[in-house]
This record gives sequence, C-alpha cells and structure tokens, in this order.
Amino acid sequence: MAEKTYTFRVQRNKVTGDGKVESRWQDYKLSAEPTTTVLICLEQIKGHQDGTLTYRMSCRSAICGSCAMKISGRTRLACKTHVEKVADANGVIHVSPMTNQPILKDMVVDIRPFYKHVAKIKPYLQEGPETDTNVGRSSYDQVNHVTQCIMCGSCYSDCTMAEVSDKFVGPAALAKAFRFVSDPREGRKTARLRELSEEHQMWSCCRCAQCVETCPKDVKPMEAIVKLRARGMQKGYVDGPGPKHALAFHGDIQKTGDLNEFTLMQRTIGIVGTLGELGMAIHLMKKGKVPSPFPHKIDGVEELGNIFRILEENPLDVETKAKEVAPE
Amino acid sequence: MSLEFSFYPGCAGKQVQKEAKSAAHAVARELGITLHPMPRASCCGAVSLREAKLAFSLAVAARILSEAEAAGRNICTICNTCLQTLSHANYRFKHEPDVLEKINGVLKKAGVRPYGATIKVQHLLWVVMDQVDQKVLKSKITRPLKGLKVAPFYGCHNLRPSEIYESKAGDEADHLDRLITVLGGSPVSYGGARKCCGFHVMLSDPREMRSMVATNCLDAKDNGAELMISPCTLCDMSLNAYQMPAEKVVGKKIGLPEMNFAQLLGASMGLDAGELGLERLHVDPRPVLKSKGL
Repeated sequence: MAEKTYTFRVQRNKVTGDGKVESRWQDYKLSAEPTTTVLICLEQIKGHQDGTLTYRMSCRSAICGSCAMKISGRTRLACKTHVEKVADANGVIHVSPMTNQPILKDMVVDIRPFYKHVAKIKPYLQEGPETDTNVGRSSYDQVNHVTQCIMCGSCYSDCTMAEVSDKFVGPAALAKAFRFVSDPREGRKTARLRELSEEHQMWSCCRCAQCVETCPKDVKPMEAIVKLRARGMQKGYVDGPGPKHALAFHGDIQKTGDLNEFTLMQRTIGIVGTLGELGMAIHLMKKGKVPSPFPHKIDGVEELGNIFRILEENPLDVETKAKEVAPE
Repeated sequence: MSLEFSFYPGCAGKQVQKEAKSAAHAVARELGITLHPMPRASCCGAVSLREAKLAFSLAVAARILSEAEAAGRNICTICNTCLQTLSHANYRFKHEPDVLEKINGVLKKAGVRPYGATIKVQHLLWVVMDQVDQKVLKSKITRPLKGLKVAPFYGCHNLRPSEIYESKAGDEADHLDRLITVLGGSPVSYGGARKCCGFHVMLSDPREMRSMVATNCLDAKDNGAELMISPCTLCDMSLNAYQMPAEKVVGKKIGLPEMNFAQLLGASMGLDAGELGLERLHVDPRPVLKSKGL
C-alpha cells in the first residue's frame, strides 16, 4: 500500500509548579501506510523527531491497555488504531491524553481515580451465603463479554457522566460488578446489588452508550449496567428515583398506552422531591410545557394488558447472551 | 422513492415538546413526506421499560412495529430515545429469530398481529437528508441562514450503539452538519456535538444533568455557535428548557438559543413562526433568526 504523509497534531502537556497544566498543540509530519498503527507512528516521532514526547505503552497487542489516549475525538488504544481510520480529509490526526483524569505529562494521566472506583466495587470473588460450587455452561452467557475488559480506562475517559461527576463509579467498574453478580461462585450477589443501588453507582449512568462505542474489547459496559439494574429491581431494591422511574412505565402502558408525564415526576422523586422542583415546574409552565393529567387512550389498549398478563404468568428469557467461546 | 411513513412522534412530541411535532408536520408537508398517524401505537417504554420488564418491552415494541408493517410503511420518529428503543428491538428481531418467535407467540395469544421483522425505523432528519431529493430540499430554502454559526447536537440515542441503526450512526453520522450547510449556515465543530444532554438523569442526578447541559452549550458557544439544533424532543427539553436552571448550577450566563432541527428547517422555508412553535422556547431563537432576515 502506498505511503502517505500524515500530520500528528499532538497535545503537549506540562504540569507547572503551582499544579496547573500548560497545554499546547505541536505538529509532527510523518509518512506512513494507511494501516500503520498510531502507536508505531508515535514511536517513530519519539525515536526520530522528538525524544521528549511522552506516552505510556507496553504490549502493542491491545491486551495491556497502557496506550489508551484520545485520538481524533474518541479514546482509543493507539496500538489498535490504524492511521487512515482517524485521519481527517487533510491527513491530520489529533492526539491528546485521556480525559476525566488528571494529566501528568503529555499523554500520560494519573489513572488512580479510575482504579479507586474499580476498587470500590470489590473486584474479586467473595465468600458468602450465595456461593455455588457448580458452574454450568450457561454461566458464561452473561460473563463472557465483561471478562474481556482489560482495564484500559477508555470508557471512563469518554464517559459523559464522569465528565460532570467524579463520584460516579464509571462504566468499567460497573461492568466488573456485573461480572461478579453473574458468577455462580460469588457469595454476595444480592448484597452487591444492594450496594450498587446506592448513589453514584448503577442508577447514575445516563445511558448515553458512549462506553459501548468506545470500548476496544467489546465489553458493552452499558448493556451490563442495564442488566444490573434489572437484577437489582428483581431483588427488591426499588427505593431510589432511578428504579421508581423505571417502574413507572409498564403500568401506564397497560392503562392507557401512553406515559402519564403529569404524574411521572411525583412517582419518581416523591411528593417532597416534587415540591423541591416547584420552581422548575413554574419555569416550564411559563411556556405551556405542562403535560395533560388526562392522557389519551390508544386504540386496542386492552391488548397491552393481555400481553403483560401472559408474560407475568409465563415469563420469557429474552436476555441477550454472549456467544460461546469454544477452544479451537 | 415513496415518502409515506407511519409517524411515531413519542410522548414528549405529543405534549411538552409539541412544537417539534407541529414543525415536523409543517416541513414534511412542504417536502412531500406523508406522516400517517398510528392510532394503536403505545409509548415505547424508553430506556426504562427494558430495565424493568425486558420481555414486555420487546413485545410492546413488536406491537408498534407490527402496526406500521400492517400498513406497509416504515416508521418515522422525531424522538431519539423512541428511535433507539424501537431500533434496538427491531435489530434483535432481525438478528435473533428465536427471540422474534417467542415474542410473536405472546402477541398471537394476546390477539395482536405478529411482527414479520420487515420494516425500518427512521428518524425524520434521516428522511429529509437521505430520502428527499436534495434539489427539492434546496428549492424550498427561501430564507438561507447567511453563514449563521449553528452547533449540531446529535443526541446519544440518534448515534449509539451504532450497529442497531439503519442509517449512518456513531462517529459517522453527519446528517445535522449537512442540513446546516444546505440551509446556508456554518456548522460549528465542538466536542459536545455527540455527548449527552442528560435528559435520562434529569430526576435521579439533577445537578449532573444541569452540568451536562451547561458544559455542552458553553462548549458550543466557546466555539462560536450562535444557535444550536438537535433532532430530538428530549434533547430540546434539556438544552433549551433547562438551560436557565443549568446557568444557576455553573454560575455562568449561557444564553444560547436551541431549537429542534425541524423548527430551523421550517424557518428557512419561510414557514409561519406560530406553526413552528417558536414562542414555546425558553431561550428564544427569534432575535438571532431575525438578524439573518428569517
């Protein structure tokens, strides 16, 4: 394949004496084949153009997770990213450090905040009343995706909730939590779900699905979060605004077909919470943004009641399952 | 190409964001798109029903998809979350025949026509940009934006997970940027274009939701935006109706008008401001539109 000249627009970062980060963009031109990885290019730049350029790397095989960095708008593993895929029409590739974690130098960030969150969910099997020693084949249906996680932190770097909240535990930690909740050998499955139902845990995910798109190992963290929420509610952890909101829908859909947005707020955050939001309600009312208390009834609404009853009497297992990974 | 669709506006479009629905009907009429009502369609259940009652959520989606299929039409929506919910279910029905069979078994017992997994779920923005003849679209733009700097805000559920959508999605999606260009505006490049509006954590994490609104709007403004548009009734609600409350959280004035893409398209077509519901927006876009002769 023919080589092309690419411009690497790299963010150079330096922490100054007072702890502030000084950032500037520096261009490096490099000739490369379209399928050359960004990591190889950075090594070329460091080896032949500028030895001061600093980044982490190790395995070159998308398994150690060290070289996660922001490449053309999204966090990716430099070793797994072909230059052609991320170059713009002018052959420019933007490279900067991961976000949502403090910068140390150039592309190197302090990964401790990420690991502290992962540690919070106790990322190991625990002895307890629910420990099962039989592990059937079907156990892999749920854990197979999430065990692929390499803790590179890419999902946390791109997480839109982590951007506004350093308390949110983040996608990787929650995917890891799901891995233990789904493992038959785990002894504290229910206790874990109770802990995960607390503030800034599974119910604070904003469901933007950026982690599903970003993850270089197809862990699909948000899908794991959805399943954690379902399991938490099944175990009766339904007190917070998250589960209350989730549980508000199926009743309305059976009754009228449409969501009763008029009472939705009160059912989600309670009377006291609603009174606290009174200012917001008045603000919305000024522009006529008040839902009708009398939702419209759809045609054939009784069909939805029938469907619901049939499924309550004969539950269906329609969860997504990971493909079986068989040894060759 | 037939431009007949079964129209699924979503709960917000029917009520609190009804201006987006009215604008959608207005631009559809001008562009020769027919939006047929779906009298049997229920709420899609959004992201919540899937968490609370998974099988029921799939059956609810199948019943909606089946109504459109019986009419021989694809679905067209103006709510990103409806788009994602119905696309997600449709993707599963098309790729997991055993799941479709199980759900159809339930529909039949409940007296509902089973779903054949033959239709597509589309967003009105995609229809306008990919199915309407672009010459026709251009001919309708009587009041171009004269270089107005417009920030596109795509909304998560128009983009991700990209595999489920039957149009360009994820980082590849460019519908809003193309629309802004066709309207004679200049699309603003900024980091927030594909981030989250916070709608789905509005009640559970109110402070964080408002921070998201502020971060994205300020990012757009810092990059020169004079106006922001989104294809989603829920993003509209967050970015416009919640912009002033968001200002209080971050202690900064934002003042960036935001509107639904159909409202801006309608304004560029010279349609009546009342029909487009511009007076229902908290951060009023009319002064900036007026400055460009709209």
